[in-house]
Amino acid sequence: MEATVVCVDNSEWTRNGDYAPTRFQAQADAVNLLAGAKTQANPENTVGVLTMAGKTPRVLVTPTPDLGRVLNSMQALEIEGEANLSSAVQIAQLALKHRQNKNQRQRIVLFVGSPIREDKATLVKIAKKLKKNNVAVDVVAFGSEGEEANTEKLEAFREAVNSGDNSHLVTVPAGTVLSDMLFSSPIFQVEGGAGYGAPAGGAEGGGVSGGYDFGVDPNLDPELALALRVSMEEERARQSAAAAATIEDAGAAGSSAAAAEGAAGAAPVAAAGDEAEAMDEDALLQQALAMSMQADQSGGGKAPAAAPAPAPAAPAADQDMALDAADDELQRALQMSMAGEGEASAAPAAGGGAPGGVADMLGDSDYLASVLGSLPGVDPSDPALQGALASLNSGAAGGGS
Amino acid sequence: MSASAGAELLDYISWPSVECLNAQPAHGAANALKQGYREDDGLWLESDTDEQLLLHIQFNQAVKLSGLVIKAEAGGTAPRTVKLFTNQPSLGFSEAASERPTQEFALSDDDLVGRPLTLRFVKFQNVTTLSVFIEDNRGGEDTTRVQKISLLGQPAEKMDVAAIKKVGEEEG
Repeated sequence: MEATVVCVDNSEWTRNGDYAPTRFQAQADAVNLLAGAKTQANPENTVGVLTMAGKTPRVLVTPTPDLGRVLNSMQALEIEGEANLSSAVQIAQLALKHRQNKNQRQRIVLFVGSPIREDKATLVKIAKKLKKNNVAVDVVAFGSEGEEANTEKLEAFREAVNSGDNSHLVTVPAGTVLSDMLFSSPIFQVEGGAGYGAPAGGAEGGGVSGGYDFGVDPNLDPELALALRVSMEEERARQSAAAAATIEDAGAAGSSAAAAEGAAGAAPVAAAGDEAEAMDEDALLQQALAMSMQADQSGGGKAPAAAPAPAPAAPAADQDMALDAADDELQRALQMSMAGEGEASAAPAAGGGAPGGVADMLGDSDYLASVLGSLPGVDPSDPALQGALASLNSGAAGGGS
Repeated sequence: MSASAGAELLDYISWPSVECLNAQPAHGAANALKQGYREDDGLWLESDTDEQLLLHIQFNQAVKLSGLVIKAEAGGTAPRTVKLFTNQPSLGFSEAASERPTQEFALSDDDLVGRPLTLRFVKFQNVTTLSVFIEDNRGGEDTTRVQKISLLGQPAEKMDVAAIKKVGEEEG
């Protein structure tokens, strides 16, 4: 929690146009942005504004949580005279000392866009006094007149006031956008690390992807986040299925028998229908799928990996024998499995591809459980759901036959 | 009334509002005020830019203060002049040095080992904020170290508003 007084440089020097549109206007934008960031970081933060130039430094707004008052005060500023840094800072300290809420820590943000009249020793003395009173000071130096002397003085000032790294000096070169440069500086960072920027706008470069899966804040767009997660899980399931198929195919020649067994294992769900035919269908489908996976991988991975598995199944079944001749083992495995299946032709397998694919996906209980588990309000272990799935499964297999 | 009549006022301190001006960030007020910390010889409160310290202690209800213990290591960094102010939460160093304190002490060797300072009880009857201003130290060193500060007294009102419970809940 913090009380901040912003010291605005409204001296004649700020008429300069080296920061678009003018030095003063650029500064006003930066102050508005800073006030917004401070008040948003904590509802009990307060911001005040003080002008340094003119007849005497003037407090326009005592520290207030009301952002509107700060923005209003910035509208009515007049450019006149020269900045009186030392008295301005001391007035700011008084304004902070009499803050309502003693829990707030005190901070002065000092905008310096004109040559500093005070000498280094005076500044250091003021800095020590500020430090003694637990006031942190952030200094924004801009403008090129007397830049070296200014930087030296301000650096000494910051050095003297700094306590536990709570004070900063930021020098903004001419030709840049003042508020943009400040936005990424430590002045805009809450003490303790987290920035104001991310929660405020979400547009801070590089800060977006931090902490969230897929770079999307689930709180902002839950539907998108859910869709992304489901898609991610589908892709993972597909990849693990592909890996399993590869292992099977790359195994010993008897692997096709294992595949057949797997098909048989999946078959019982179809027990209500024409048992023998359903078995044939399922086994064929498994095989076609395995082949398509193999074709995908032996093709150098150029096949669209994200395409649903059943789609490439039909062409893969057509060109089974013409597959990569080098892959002896696969060929042999295929032949054996074809022989094992007897007279089954590729055509019915292709015909039954689409519904069979769904049945296959539904038959994969792990995958199904993961998809269902990711849906809100669905309990995969619900017996009613299990029953529905079993009937759906048998229905799909029956439709395939 | 003797100073020892009062009990520790730890429970009545509003900790978030405790503020110590000119303390080193690594050696803050908690080191001298909080139970456990202040008994630890490795933890102390130390001034930063010069030898002065100004400690504002706010209470969460008005208290009556009867005694004050300031313990410090003997030597040049031990505090010497201590001024107490009541109910002036915005007190700064310049006012503390120039205004008339509620009570002023020059600490002796006995005081520094933990003998309670006796406060003028009538002047500390309705204290919501106590400011302890340590003006200088014994050896003219750059910094002042304080090992322990404890406040003795009693709450001004016997009723603790925060502890009031809803009537009738047990019966309901």
